[in-house]
Amino acid sequence: MALSSTFCPRIPNKFRYTPISSFPSKPLLSLSFRTFASLASDASSQADKFSGRVGFLGLGIMGAPMAQNLMKAGCDVTVWNRTKSKCDPLINLGAKYQSSPEEVAANCDVTFAMLADPESAIDVACGKNGAASGMGPGKGYVDVSTVDVSTSKLINEHIKATGALFLEAPVSGSKKPAEDGQLIFLTAGDKSLYDSVAALLDIMGKSRFYLGEVGNGAAMKLVVNMIMGSMMASFSEGILLSKKVGLDPNVLVEVVSQGAISAPMYSLKGPSMVKSLYPTAFPLKHQQKDLRLALGLAESVSQSTPIAAAANELYKVAKSYGLSDEDFSAVIEALKAKSQD
Amino acid sequence: MEIGFLGLGIMGKAMSVNLLKNGFKVTVWNRTLSKCNELVALGASVGETPAEVVKKCKINIAMLSDPAAALSVVFDKDGVLEQICGKCYIDMSTVDPDTSCKISEAITSKGGHFLEAPVSGSKQPAETGQLVILAAGEKALYEEAIPAFNVLGKKSFFLGQVGNGAKMKLVVNVIMGSMMNAFSEGLVLADRSGLNPHDLLDVLDLGAIANPMFRGKGPAMLQDNYSPAFPLKHQQKDMRLALALGDENAVSMPVAAAANEAFKKARSMGLEDLDFSAVFETMKILKHKS
Repeated sequence: MALSSTFCPRIPNKFRYTPISSFPSKPLLSLSFRTFASLASDASSQADKFSGRVGFLGLGIMGAPMAQNLMKAGCDVTVWNRTKSKCDPLINLGAKYQSSPEEVAANCDVTFAMLADPESAIDVACGKNGAASGMGPGKGYVDVSTVDVSTSKLINEHIKATGALFLEAPVSGSKKPAEDGQLIFLTAGDKSLYDSVAALLDIMGKSRFYLGEVGNGAAMKLVVNMIMGSMMASFSEGILLSKKVGLDPNVLVEVVSQGAISAPMYSLKGPSMVKSLYPTAFPLKHQQKDLRLALGLAESVSQSTPIAAAANELYKVAKSYGLSDEDFSAVIEALKAKSQD
Repeated sequence: MEIGFLGLGIMGKAMSVNLLKNGFKVTVWNRTLSKCNELVALGASVGETPAEVVKKCKINIAMLSDPAAALSVVFDKDGVLEQICGKCYIDMSTVDPDTSCKISEAITSKGGHFLEAPVSGSKQPAETGQLVILAAGEKALYEEAIPAFNVLGKKSFFLGQVGNGAKMKLVVNVIMGSMMNAFSEGLVLADRSGLNPHDLLDVLDLGAIANPMFRGKGPAMLQDNYSPAFPLKHQQKDMRLALALGDENAVSMPVAAAANEAFKKARSMGLEDLDFSAVFETMKILKHKS
């Protein structure tokens, strides 16, 4: 595979974001990061604001707040969602509506898509009345769904065949970062499209990476979520073990938060996991999908990943317990016997 | 306060230096006596045996590498037990709960006072006094030890009866060992998929799974630098002890079990004295030996 040319080179230490116990909304350092990123940008002069018409396909947990942020920033937004009623809040904010992805694409300069899985992403892009049918030269399609590499390449082909530009741009971050405009975009594909939409990405996110050829963004997202899924499973084992040996799991969460393995995810979700509550920020079924795709990626490069494989089994068990729509932290239930609390 | 300090390895040396620099009088002992010299240069006294140190000091801290060493220092000839009547013993080694209970019983039945206090944190937090101390046992001794704990660490917990500190430490370290494996799998997959692993580090550092361990060790791992802050053999020991706890209590731990296998493989490859992040090496492309 070609070496990815990183748009955002290694950040020198002074620019590094140092997380504190709770996630601040727009830390000063992240502004420096974005400035650094756009300073390093290419020749094409980048307008501070994006003045074109923006389409948004898919208004689920992620798409709705992302589209809302674009609206609040004053963008001209046209929406579509498979279940039309989900569009109403956006329409009430002033968004336009079209009844198919094709019509959205035809009426917009850049169209974003945020779908739940590879199947929907392909269907929305390339299916009947799909976005590709409304694409053409001068337009762009930015798929922010999380899919496998071959799905992304397939969508890329279909979009490019119309003369339009394509950017894959899956995000790291779930519901709250989407609401707060704190997503991390892991993009790859047409560099000129990346440059054109940078301002839009900056509205929805706190940082963005350009990782080179199509597939690299998808792969990066899968790697990150593979690590995350394994970490959540490990944390779950720890919480359960602490309970079973007579420790207070809340104290474990506090001890973890003080040391080298302190991660925002643990501090944020630990307390509710201890109470067997899993309010959905990132549905378990999507985490399992990502693990499945990551294992597929690993297989394609002949890499053994026993930890991720073991974690994946736990998510499958959790799904069999009916926990697909709970937050992925519900994986802890998979370690319990079904009748336990 | 005069403190006895037994065990001057990676952790013990840094901890006793901290105590000395903060005005404590310290008497040290180490199995290899020459390791005491550096401490003597900083003002410490030396005891030739654990018993000698305990004879001299009211409060004694031990920092040994594993259950065998922790037991030996207490029970062997010229060991702690011989002089423990009326004295205090704080074992900051990481051991299994049974070993800790055994030591506690022996100490208290001879009229001594006992506190287990394993720590979370490795070489650097030991040097900078940023350890997290997980104490359990005699509450009164815990209170007495607080001035020393405040120098050694940034936060102390009192967790109740002997065994709870040991258990808490093992739970933390089993999560850590699994995380290091997950991280290593991710770094290898990034590389094999044609990504720049340094980009992965940058992405991780911005999100919900950012943590000091990834941030601190990631770059070194990518340079094949495994200078030991926490030796792999000790991490694997902790995984094994935690899995044994899970075993005793019928707790399902498939991810930790898989992680333990990777650490065992690392040991079989001769990596046990390197930092535990060297488990990364087991996941790179290896030539098959027939």
